[in-house]
Amino acid sequence: MPETLQTPLPAVAPRVMRAPRSLVLEITARCNLRCRYCYFFNNSAVEYRDLPTDEWLKFFAELGSLGVMRVTLAGGEPFIREDLAALVEGLVRNRMRFSLLSNGGLIDDEIAAFLAGTGRCEYVQVSVDGSCAEVHDSCRGKGAFDGAVCGIRTLQRHGIFVAARTTIHRNNVHDLENVARFLLEDLGLPDFGNNVAGYLGACCANAQDVLLTIEERQQAMATLLRIEEKYPGRLVAQAGPLTDARMWRRMEDARAQEAPAFHNGGRLTGCGCPSNKISVRADGAIVPCNMLEHVVLGHINRDSLADVWQHSPALNQLRRRPAIPLSDFEFCAGCPYVPYCTGNCPGLAYSLTGTVDHPSPDACLRRFLEEGGVLP
Amino acid sequence: MNATDKPIANPVVVLREEFDDWAVLFNPDTADALGTNPVGVAVWKRMDGKRTVADIVADVQAGFEGAPESVSKDVDAFVNALSNLGFAGLELDRKAADA
Repeated sequence: MPETLQTPLPAVAPRVMRAPRSLVLEITARCNLRCRYCYFFNNSAVEYRDLPTDEWLKFFAELGSLGVMRVTLAGGEPFIREDLAALVEGLVRNRMRFSLLSNGGLIDDEIAAFLAGTGRCEYVQVSVDGSCAEVHDSCRGKGAFDGAVCGIRTLQRHGIFVAARTTIHRNNVHDLENVARFLLEDLGLPDFGNNVAGYLGACCANAQDVLLTIEERQQAMATLLRIEEKYPGRLVAQAGPLTDARMWRRMEDARAQEAPAFHNGGRLTGCGCPSNKISVRADGAIVPCNMLEHVVLGHINRDSLADVWQHSPALNQLRRRPAIPLSDFEFCAGCPYVPYCTGNCPGLAYSLTGTVDHPSPDACLRRFLEEGGVLP
Repeated sequence: MNATDKPIANPVVVLREEFDDWAVLFNPDTADALGTNPVGVAVWKRMDGKRTVADIVADVQAGFEGAPESVSKDVDAFVNALSNLGFAGLELDRKAADA
């Protein structure tokens, strides 16, 4: 049950830009794979259907008129769209840069050459979860590893920046050092990103087989710190075990020294996305984030994006979230880490607790320690 | 840059006007971005290849109360910076170009 907030939210949301600088667009609800921890599928709030080309192109013209700078094309698998080149041309025509999130398996020379030729492709993110087919395919399905590697090599041949991404789960946590060697040495990538499978979408049905145990989480943190030491500056993470290890270490040091609260500590400040970007589902619903697919703010080509961005009550409610003190939550009662904690991701908070305005239990240091976790 | 030069904004560059008339100029071909104040926005909007730098300076002096003496130098420096970043060019004199 959601807890009742004791502190009233400020009446006025913080001022934001006239329009978002960037958007994440799920241009398709189709995918050639069915990964066991995919956040996108098996979400009862989502209508899984694709919009026709002209709907997207019309929307891109609106983005161009608003001065949107960057768009990330996601899915599903964006390369599955037969009209991908036409969509990208629409972005270029409307003066935007773009990137794509992919499993790599549908990337061929023709589309890679086209993307490179636009001069506007910032990167293509390709998921690589293992150093070999056995590990990678364990959650992604047979043939996925070969497809990913082939896709990466194709992109490299055409000079497109490849941002490899490893999602850490129970079947690959033991393989992370091999993954690093494979991506950084064998494939010669400059760096690679990592995150962890979270309790979202398809993962909810496979949580026991996929989500890390406390011991495995500890193992992941220690391994990633070792990898970071071996390959300085080549490991990228905005969430997951590596950022947990860094943040929790800081929090524990601060607690031990009775240090003053962190500048963003003690409140739900863990997510700044609602002030910078916004997302669109494959069916055209405008949502704050791909991890909050149920919060429908409007619909493209029916509602003005600028109006949604500036005036949506639900979006402005999210923007006021950083004013909510953690001391309002029973969940945080008596926690010595409150002055240093940001409450983390609202998407995971919703998935795990049923309310957005709540700290994410997944990111709770106290809980990690109480369940037997030890910081590396 | 001469006072008689006619600067022209690179049409691919995006002007993102934010609240309070501050703005970001963004070149999607290079990913370069430049923040600017309301005077910079006014200059940018007048870089149409028809107005000279002197015309733009006169417009700024007329449009912004209390514009400092250095406005001519400031506009010149701003247009030069835009030019160096590839955000702007100069409209060529047609006769000179044809010759």
